[in-house]
Parts: sequence; C-alpha cells; structure tokens
Amino acid sequence: MARSLLLSAAFALVLGTATELRGAEMVWSGLVIAENVAQPHPIPPELTGIERPLKRLFGYNQFQVIGQSRKALQTGQEDWLATSKFFGLHVDARGESQAGYVLNLKLYKEKELLLETDAKLSKRSPLLIKGPQVGGGQLLLVLVVQ
Amino acid sequence: MKTFEEKWTAWLDGQLSDRELAQFEASLPDKAAAEAEKTEAKKLGAFLKRELGARALTNEEFFSHQLRERIARERAGESRKSGGRRIEVSTWWTIRRLLWTGTASLVVFLVLAIFVMRDKNPAEQSQYLTQILNARVDPVVSPNATISMFETKEDRVTVLWTEGLQSLPADYAAK
Repeated sequence: MARSLLLSAAFALVLGTATELRGAEMVWSGLVIAENVAQPHPIPPELTGIERPLKRLFGYNQFQVIGQSRKALQTGQEDWLATSKFFGLHVDARGESQAGYVLNLKLYKEKELLLETDAKLSKRSPLLIKGPQVGGGQLLLVLVVQ
Repeated sequence: MKTFEEKWTAWLDGQLSDRELAQFEASLPDKAAAEAEKTEAKKLGAFLKRELGARALTNEEFFSHQLRERIARERAGESRKSGGRRIEVSTWWTIRRLLWTGTASLVVFLVLAIFVMRDKNPAEQSQYLTQILNARVDPVVSPNATISMFETKEDRVTVLWTEGLQSLPADYAAK
C-alpha cells in the first residue's frame, strides 16, 4: 500500500515536472522592417532560423527588428505587446492545445487597428504576416516558438 | 511338450492317442474323480450345445429378419447422411469459411486503417504547421485590402499575406 502510494506520488511529480517544462515555452514576437539595400546588415539573431523563407517569400535582402517581445508561456493564457515607435503588436494567448497556442493578434498603427487575426501557433512552425508598406520597405510581423 | 492343462483338455475331448492316454491316466492321482469330472464336463458341453446353439430359422423368419436388417441399414445410412449434413451446416471453420473470414477481416482492417490514417494526417499536419484561423482588416482604414494565407511545407512557415493596406512613410520604420 505504502509502496503504491510512493510510486503514484513519484509518477505525479514526474508528470507535473514534464507538464511544467512543456508549459514554459518562449514565444518571440517581432516587428520587422524588410528592405532592399545595397549594403544589407546581417540578419538579426532572432531571425536566423527563418532567413531563407523570409528572403525567398518577401524578396528583400535586409531585415531589421524595430520592436520585439519575448514571452514565456506558463498557462497559455498570457498576453503581451511588442512595440516600435509607431506600431504595436498585441498578442493574446487564448489557450494551449496539442497543436500549439491559440493566439489573437492585433496590429496597431499608433491607436488605429490595422489588422486582426486568430491563429494556432505551432511549436515548430513560425508565423509570418505581411503588414503595410513602410517607405521603400515592408513591415513584417514574425512569431516564433523558441 | 504339452502342459498338464493341454493334456487334460485333450483327455476331456477324447483326443489323446493311445500312448498319450495311457501315460496321462497313469499320471492322474485319482482316476475315479477325474472320470467323474470328465462325465460332468461332457454333460455341461451337451447342455450348452443344446441351449445356446443357433436355432434354424424358418423361411418366413429369415426373410423378415433380412427385411428388418435392410430397413435398419437404410435408416442408419439416412441418419448418417442427415447427420453429416447437420455437421456441414453447423461446422463454422470450413476451409471456405476460413478464407472468407480471413478476407473479410483484411478488408475491415484496411478500411479502418485508411480511416485512422486519414484522421491522423490532418492532426499531424496541424501540429506541424501553424494554422491561421481567420483574419480581417479595418475596411475603413484599408478599403482595398485583401488577405490570403498559405503554408510552405519545405520552410515549415505559415504566411498571412495582405495586399492593399494603407502605405506609410519611411518614418514609420523607426524603432
């Protein structure tokens, strides 16, 4: 009886630890300006994992992060904001499923809502959003589970 | 060399030769008792032969007996046949049924496997790639905006592609 109780407790502990480790995942969200320039800066370290699709899909050679946020998700119910001087990306996590995190994203230009979307962010698949044109470049929104 | 029992039986049946008879009778310890026993055995043999011997059948009895035997044989044959049919009907695992059952099981297995794989694949894919559930832009701010979404499996990225959003001056690229 005591042995089975001890085993159950150990199992619960391991399970709890595993769940906790699994829950503490980091989501990086960034506001990125993509441009074509003669002397491009090196790609920021946050974007190195997706450099190839960024260049291939959007056709720019330089990517600069103008605003970012890194959030550790514990419950999958958190919300956070990545801001630049004029833009704000509000991310509202609405739960965690086996497929990933359910997120509501809102892109603001100052106080004006430009774009809203709901997505299931997979832990192994970044989300790229093409925003408005800014000067000769493009505003991109990037979300990655790290 | 005959045993005593063999010689005794042959003596009772009167089948000993003269020499053997003389030798055997000389070896008997009490010849009078043996003779009495021989007489009793003969009486018993005669009685058994008389009582247990096959009784000759009359013609009528003989035909009746033959008819009864034939009817009995036919009945036995019929019951064997019907019994055999019953066995064939009630037996489940004949070769043919085994084949049918095996084929049917395979078909059921394949159908289930296809359903399971079909159900499983989208789930795996959805776990693999980010999914965009919906997207909208403010029609007042960007009246000509269009939205499309796609996934690139080789890069494992999901893209929300907008066109026609309000263009902004370069100042908006400030950090």
